[in-house]
Amino acid sequence: MPASDVKEDCLRLPQNLTVRAITIVQQEMLQFLDKTASATIELDDDCQVDISFIQLLEAARIYADTAGKHIALARPASGSTLDVLKRSGFLEGMSAEDLKFWLHQGGIQ
Amino acid sequence: MSFPDPIAVFRTEAAELLEQIEAGLLDLNVNLGDKDQVDAVFRGLHTLKGSGAMFGFDALAAFTHHCETAFDRVRKGEVPATQELVTAVLEAKDHMRALVDTPNGDHEATGEALLANLRAAVDGANSPGAASPAKAAPGRSHFKIRFSLPQNAMANGTNPLPLLDELRELGECKIVANRSAIPSLELLAPTDLYISWEVELLTTQPRSAIDDVFIFVMDEMQLDVVTVEPPLAAGTPGKTETASTEAGPAAAPVAPPAPIAPAPVDAKQKKTAENVRVPAEKLDELMDRVGELVIAQSRLSQLAGGSGDLQLRAVSEDVERLSGELRDTMMVLRMVPVTQLFGRFRRLVHDLAHETGKTIELLTEGETTEVDKSVIERLADPLVHLVRNSCDHGLETPEERRAAGKPEAGHILLSARQQAGEVIITIKDDGRGINKERVRAKAESSGLIAPNANLTDQELYQLIFQPGFSTAQTVTNLSGRGVGMDVVKRTIDALRGTINVTSHVGKGSEISLAIPLTLAIIDGLLVRVGDGRYVIPLSAVEECLELPIEEDMRSRGRSFISLRDSLVPFLRLRDLFRTGTKPDPFQKVVVVSTGSERVGLVVDQIIGDHQTVIKGMSKLHHDVATFSGATILGDGDVALILDVGHLVAEGQQQEAHLRAAG
Repeated sequence: MPASDVKEDCLRLPQNLTVRAITIVQQEMLQFLDKTASATIELDDDCQVDISFIQLLEAARIYADTAGKHIALARPASGSTLDVLKRSGFLEGMSAEDLKFWLHQGGIQ
Repeated sequence: MSFPDPIAVFRTEAAELLEQIEAGLLDLNVNLGDKDQVDAVFRGLHTLKGSGAMFGFDALAAFTHHCETAFDRVRKGEVPATQELVTAVLEAKDHMRALVDTPNGDHEATGEALLANLRAAVDGANSPGAASPAKAAPGRSHFKIRFSLPQNAMANGTNPLPLLDELRELGECKIVANRSAIPSLELLAPTDLYISWEVELLTTQPRSAIDDVFIFVMDEMQLDVVTVEPPLAAGTPGKTETASTEAGPAAAPVAPPAPIAPAPVDAKQKKTAENVRVPAEKLDELMDRVGELVIAQSRLSQLAGGSGDLQLRAVSEDVERLSGELRDTMMVLRMVPVTQLFGRFRRLVHDLAHETGKTIELLTEGETTEVDKSVIERLADPLVHLVRNSCDHGLETPEERRAAGKPEAGHILLSARQQAGEVIITIKDDGRGINKERVRAKAESSGLIAPNANLTDQELYQLIFQPGFSTAQTVTNLSGRGVGMDVVKRTIDALRGTINVTSHVGKGSEISLAIPLTLAIIDGLLVRVGDGRYVIPLSAVEECLELPIEEDMRSRGRSFISLRDSLVPFLRLRDLFRTGTKPDPFQKVVVVSTGSERVGLVVDQIIGDHQTVIKGMSKLHHDVATFSGATILGDGDVALILDVGHLVAEGQQQEAHLRAAG
């Protein structure tokens, strides 16, 4: 049984989004993106996140760009995701695109 | 193939780190100004905190952080190291061990109390009366830092976030993640790290503080640190940009605080790379396999010996040589220095000194002496009893020592040395010594000996190892109940060892434990007595002589042989074992010794050397003192292993009786 929950274009990711589980998350995300043109990623409020997940989403954005697909977060980053973004220095020097993707700032996605 | 449980690996590493921290603290306690020890303790705490967080031991990481911070302040010269601080961190170290062992236990209240002690110790040290040496307020330096961690850092358990947090703690910090190397999702190895960082840091800390942040990944990472401006306080005009592109140590631009030299870490990391950590039970398993191989090889040798097939004999000889080499290599793998054992007594003595109000100095000798690991493990408890006993009853109070004209500090010497297949561990103190009269009175009153029994000093001292025997006039929470010394005796007996006690009233006591170097396989001399075969440990064999029948007849009734002008008592094993067989016409005397005592063992035939895999005796035969174990021979028969120590004692006793009889 997959760790994630798929609803139409929405991929709800499991709670564990750390390096220990990131390989499975990558596989599921790849399978999901292959099937859809527009993907929305839904994160649990109390999900566990580390930098491997931030890196994975950045890689997914590159993949979506190259493949002509759209990827977005269902909600602006909050909780531990936002905390990791801050601590890892991702928030510093974000482009408008980055701000839109991660924080839903600067327009509707 | 099974992989070790990472949590178990962390627990092992944490135990080693805690030992290092304890050793560092105890050394520091002796010399509070020793900056190397301050650095060593800081490094240990820093690693423990980082590793703990990495493996999910959050409570440990959070608790250790406070101790690390305290030592960081000492390192930076903000507070001096004091005995109160050392004691507080030693107590905290015990709590850290509990947090490692039972991370989900209810430790909060204890932790809070210990942290309150730690704060009090730091505040006390920081009080005006105990002010640290005046430190010039350093100016701020501006560093530009670029770094990337090893690509497999995350997979190996290194989390970059705590490193970035530590950089922030150094001062005003702007951290920007560089994502340019992140590939597309399908090309991403998700546990690899593609992100690098650029950091601008304004800090009063020296460059070495930046190195300290990366101290445990330094060898494999890329680190560029550029000093943009000189410290503002220095007032030097102009911009002197200094580039440093090495990941290794760099000159600190600001003098205080003295940096931790990265060199020892490099050495440690190199050492780690050269060693492989193997669980102890795997070694035991391998030892069992080698033991079985030795028995199978012995069987093969017998078959080959009885066969006329030369090729089979050649193969058998090769297998014998190889299994012998494998056995020797295995034995070396199992040997560990006694320093592991002695190390733990420093803390014990430190605590006992505190509890008893005595000044006690522990000295150690021969710490590099190597002993089989299972021997080390089993020696720990008996030594704890003996050291406790020396501290509590052996050594006098400072007042008593002064009155006796002795230096106020009592000394306990723990030493180890190898001697003829045995390791001799000695616990010596310069205390009051054992009062023989009191031992005798106690033994007589408890019925252990008859009134006015004629006992040698050694026999008298051995009484202290009887269950429930204590001459202590006061029972303390350390010792004096007579429980413990009998445990020492039982453990040493189980190790096939012996205990020797010497003591001089007013001068001190010395207890020597003679233990076989290994408990697993020995080189033995296979002999025949009557129809049975027996093994004599080769390490105890001095020489073999022929006992002609006429000599045997002549010596009847006295059982002594003249060996290079000295009389050596001998035991006829045929008589001792009541074989009921006639003596062989060409009997042999195998002269064995323990230390300076010798005895001859008369056997019917010497068969030859034999690699002996020691098997324990059954419970039924446990009390048969003449034998220390058994082994399986190549033909499947069982041979008993002679307990040389017991036989030598018996021979000496026989000699004493004969001498007494004139």
